[in-house]
Amino acid sequence: MGKTLFEKIWDTHLVVEKNDGPSLIYIDRHLIHEVTSPQAFDGLRINNRRVRRPDLTIATMDHNVPTNDRSLPILDQTSAIQIQALEKNCSDFGIQLFDISSPNQGIVHVIGPQLGITLPGTTIVCGDSHTSTHGAFGTLAFGIGTSEVEHVLASQTLWLDKPKPFEIKVEGKRKDTHAVTAKDIILSIIKKIGTAGGMGTVIEYRGDGISDLSMEQRMTICNMSIEAGARAGLIAPDEKTFDYLRGRKYTPKNYETLVDYWKENLKTDKDAKFEKNFILHIDNIAPQVSWGTNPGMTCDVTESIPSPEDFSKGDHNQKKGAEKALEYMDLKPGIPITEIKIDRVFIGSCTNARLEDLIEASRIIKGRKVSPHVRAMVVPGSQMVKKQAEELGIDKIFTNANFEWRESGCSMCLGMNPDILSPGERCASTSNRNFEGRQGTGGRTHLVSPVMAAAAAIEGHFVDVRKWM
Amino acid sequence: MKGNVIKYERDNIDTDVIIPGQYLKIHDYVELASHAMEGLDPNFHSKVKEGDFILSGRNFGCGSSREHAPIALAHSGIKAVLALSFARIFYRNAVDGAFLLPIEIEMDAYTNISEGDEIDIDVSNNTIKNLSKNQTYKMKPFSKIIGEIIKSGGLFKYKLN
Repeated sequence: MGKTLFEKIWDTHLVVEKNDGPSLIYIDRHLIHEVTSPQAFDGLRINNRRVRRPDLTIATMDHNVPTNDRSLPILDQTSAIQIQALEKNCSDFGIQLFDISSPNQGIVHVIGPQLGITLPGTTIVCGDSHTSTHGAFGTLAFGIGTSEVEHVLASQTLWLDKPKPFEIKVEGKRKDTHAVTAKDIILSIIKKIGTAGGMGTVIEYRGDGISDLSMEQRMTICNMSIEAGARAGLIAPDEKTFDYLRGRKYTPKNYETLVDYWKENLKTDKDAKFEKNFILHIDNIAPQVSWGTNPGMTCDVTESIPSPEDFSKGDHNQKKGAEKALEYMDLKPGIPITEIKIDRVFIGSCTNARLEDLIEASRIIKGRKVSPHVRAMVVPGSQMVKKQAEELGIDKIFTNANFEWRESGCSMCLGMNPDILSPGERCASTSNRNFEGRQGTGGRTHLVSPVMAAAAAIEGHFVDVRKWM
Repeated sequence: MKGNVIKYERDNIDTDVIIPGQYLKIHDYVELASHAMEGLDPNFHSKVKEGDFILSGRNFGCGSSREHAPIALAHSGIKAVLALSFARIFYRNAVDGAFLLPIEIEMDAYTNISEGDEIDIDVSNNTIKNLSKNQTYKMKPFSKIIGEIIKSGGLFKYKLN
């Protein structure tokens, strides 16, 4: 029987194979950041271990860095300490670090592909659940905890139960590719299969709805695989993948030979079997807006807030979950999504802060102004994205519309740096999680695409961005 | 292993409510624990006792890969989380550091165990006894290696043995 792409990558990375438990797999690249690595380095020191492959370990600081003027000192002492600890750890163990002043600094999942560190057919881990982003390149990439970070630092390997392959086919053509985006595809998938729908699996996204997407859009899809409960998401590499990586800073010298190998080997065989299958038809999907407190609680922009009664066919917990979510979000059933007023707009995060996201959002706001009661910010995913956007004059489009144009970092995705919502504030956000308090205690998050966020910033409430095209 | 149950009757308890992002900079585990579950239940810290268990629904621990989540619960005194299912990163993190036992339960245990019930978890026989209600439920057995890792005191100690 044939093999899936996931099984092929798994097999080529097996160090110790066990049929009755986890197998030991080799890790090709280990990305680290300031928040989930300090205790791992402490563990190495206590046990007098070294980093086995510092040359395969790459560090940056993204989670708690401020996104205002980089020449200013970091006022939050605990953040400053974590950042200094990463500098010391990288220096002591010989690890390449893109620090806060580096032109290559950025969100770890944005810089990996940009620098050509992310390669097809390889394994990547990072102490961050959105490591699944790199799967867009046909890379087996997933998030790990700090004990596992220590294990990989020490051994360049990881014990892992073999996940099951899950095929998600995305079929059809979006009607307006500028208004209905990759974000709307992945939110539609999570809405249908649920936040635990991919549990224990590695998803392979397939079909013309996926191959039509650019690399940056594919990253948005794979990024949110974790929000469907999957270990990782994968997309088989194709010419778009090879073109994207060609000539980048760390692209290997023998790149064309590798491309030949990848073309031959990195695809699911015709007779391969997936454990699970799901098909999404995208001909008629609408822009999506999350209304609740997990990414599965999402609906079309044309719909109204659902009633918890709509969920009573499920079990008690689903109905109760919807009730709690509406209470937290301060929303009543029946309100049209387009009548929800917002206070803040955040265009950023490892989901949607790449150059293409910023270009698309800027098309919406060009010549317009942010609604007077809205505070809107754009946080490019990396300093490189920021520079490229500035070369195109995109920063001016945003600042002319009264958006704040900031330095790169995770920013308001996760409430652990100065960019946070105040209690009760409502935000249209291009990030990945609408959990309670995620963007700051008491903050209310609605997940949307960059163009939907941009249009909401202008109008002060959600709008169907298809009407603006 | 005996203890009392703190019950959260809902699915999808995520790592951002178990330990909100702003506390991930805290390295002192006792201080970290003082913020456990703060995003969901501000009274958790005052009511939790050493040896307590958490009982919850599906997909417990979904979201971020932060190991701070099982650490904050463990240092609050929580010895096990009983849930209908677990997000995989939380499950691995709980086991890797032997912070607490992630126990997968069936619907009968979820429905019948109430807040405050005293239960006795018997891992070797895969049973949960409800001492307050005189009932017994099955738990899903741990795989052999998970059992061994927990017994050894975590991933590193297991591999060294």
